[in-house]
Amino acid sequence: MTSRVIQTLILKDWRLQRTQILISVAAGGLALALLQLKSETAFLVGTVWFFVSLIVLGSMLPVSNVVNERKKQNLPFLMSLPISALQYAISKMASTLGLFLLPWGALVIAASTLVMSRGDIPKGIVPLMFILFGLPLVGFCLIAATALVSESEGWAIAATILCNSWYGLAWYFIIRNPAINRDLNSPVPVWSPAVLTILTGEAAAVALILGVTFYLQSRKREFV
Amino acid sequence: MSDLAIELDGVEKTYPFFTLDRIHLQVPHGQIMGLIGPNGAGKSTTIRILMGLVQQDRGEVRVLGRRMPAEQIAAKWDIGFASEDMRLYEGMTLAWHMDFIRSIYPNWDAPYAQLLLKRFGLRAEQKIKGLSHGQRVKATLLLVLARRPRLLVLDEPTTGLDPVARHEILKELTAVMTDEGRSVLFSSHNTQDVEQISDRITFIDRGRIIDSMDKEAYLDRWRRLRLEVPSGMALPALPGIIGIRQDGRLAVATANAFAPEMANAYESTGARVKSIETMTLEEIFVANVEHSREQEVGA
Repeated sequence: MTSRVIQTLILKDWRLQRTQILISVAAGGLALALLQLKSETAFLVGTVWFFVSLIVLGSMLPVSNVVNERKKQNLPFLMSLPISALQYAISKMASTLGLFLLPWGALVIAASTLVMSRGDIPKGIVPLMFILFGLPLVGFCLIAATALVSESEGWAIAATILCNSWYGLAWYFIIRNPAINRDLNSPVPVWSPAVLTILTGEAAAVALILGVTFYLQSRKREFV
Repeated sequence: MSDLAIELDGVEKTYPFFTLDRIHLQVPHGQIMGLIGPNGAGKSTTIRILMGLVQQDRGEVRVLGRRMPAEQIAAKWDIGFASEDMRLYEGMTLAWHMDFIRSIYPNWDAPYAQLLLKRFGLRAEQKIKGLSHGQRVKATLLLVLARRPRLLVLDEPTTGLDPVARHEILKELTAVMTDEGRSVLFSSHNTQDVEQISDRITFIDRGRIIDSMDKEAYLDRWRRLRLEVPSGMALPALPGIIGIRQDGRLAVATANAFAPEMANAYESTGARVKSIETMTLEEIFVANVEHSREQEVGA
């Protein structure tokens, strides 16, 4: 019975956020369409636009799906339903993560397919793409975790600013890393130890953030 | 099964600037309990604790026989809760909210929901952001009532409403109470609303319950005695008198345990009883709070 309520809450979040999700997928899709044009400028603009659409979604979703529920005083309405605070947190974590992973996954698959199908793009770029795809995911998890645990718009905005500043730095250091840079023009993807270390680090960061969030949520004693 | 819908026993909750102090509260099944207190008295904190939304530091809470907050999920299937600070999703319609609640509660009574829509003058297809404050309160109550809960917990539901909307809501709550198996805890600082629909009344002030009893007994117990006192005489405080205001030869004594013998006792001191007046719940509330605060200062 309770799992049905959690499912209903997740479905409710999808219905409330779907416009935002569809807009971000459309923006990402448009960016990928730009990559199809045989122009260096279009390729650059498309690449930047593509990552911006992921970053914007990762920044906005936690605020609209988590913080606004408290800010707009919908939380007492939800907490009057037959769920515990922990179950509410589980539903919120699941829906927020799912709502991000859906467009993120679709865009990652679309971008990978596009790069693999284009003969003029060296396949050595693929590992770097996956590292860069992982950054908005880590950033999103951090912003969503901050929003969930702090329930504060101010802290969520602070986390967003932190992550958005960090993306630029991370891009700079990753692209300039010789262990990654040297394989970019390779005709096949090279999954070097450096690439795998960074990808593992990103996955570990996601797991750690989610684990800590779950732990902190389970210890909360007050929810409204 | 216990014959109590709500039972709070020695409940305490401490915040930096507020303490809920040893709350004992009992609401029998089928009764309407009015919880009256000034702003910041602890009404909402008490209600949040009994709903499992805030965990008490000490004490036991049972709602419909379930321990709170541990068994809140089982308890909340049968509780309809609405509070003044509760908001629906502004961008969605009332029909969307009705579908949402119906998908959760198998007891959702669709014909009753339609009836309430008509009675409250609401349109299901209207978005919440287009509703007035009164209409939003009615929409929230519709969502609560149509799930047919055994216990209604309403935290300041009539605050900020115009007299017509208040009347409509109180009328509906009174109608709901014809089902004798249903219990209600109704908090407000508006004593008129509470007086209109409650069976029992509890006064709370500064985090402490200062009195709790049957409404009729309450109204029966409290009296205001207007007296004329011989010049130079100070009116003595008899047992059951909680306050005396004297201005020259005129005095007003407030009794919280009135007995007809009090008039004779005052006559025997030389004072003349000019009138014995009943008090409204608001007057009783104010006198009770003042008396409680004076005792607190004295202690």
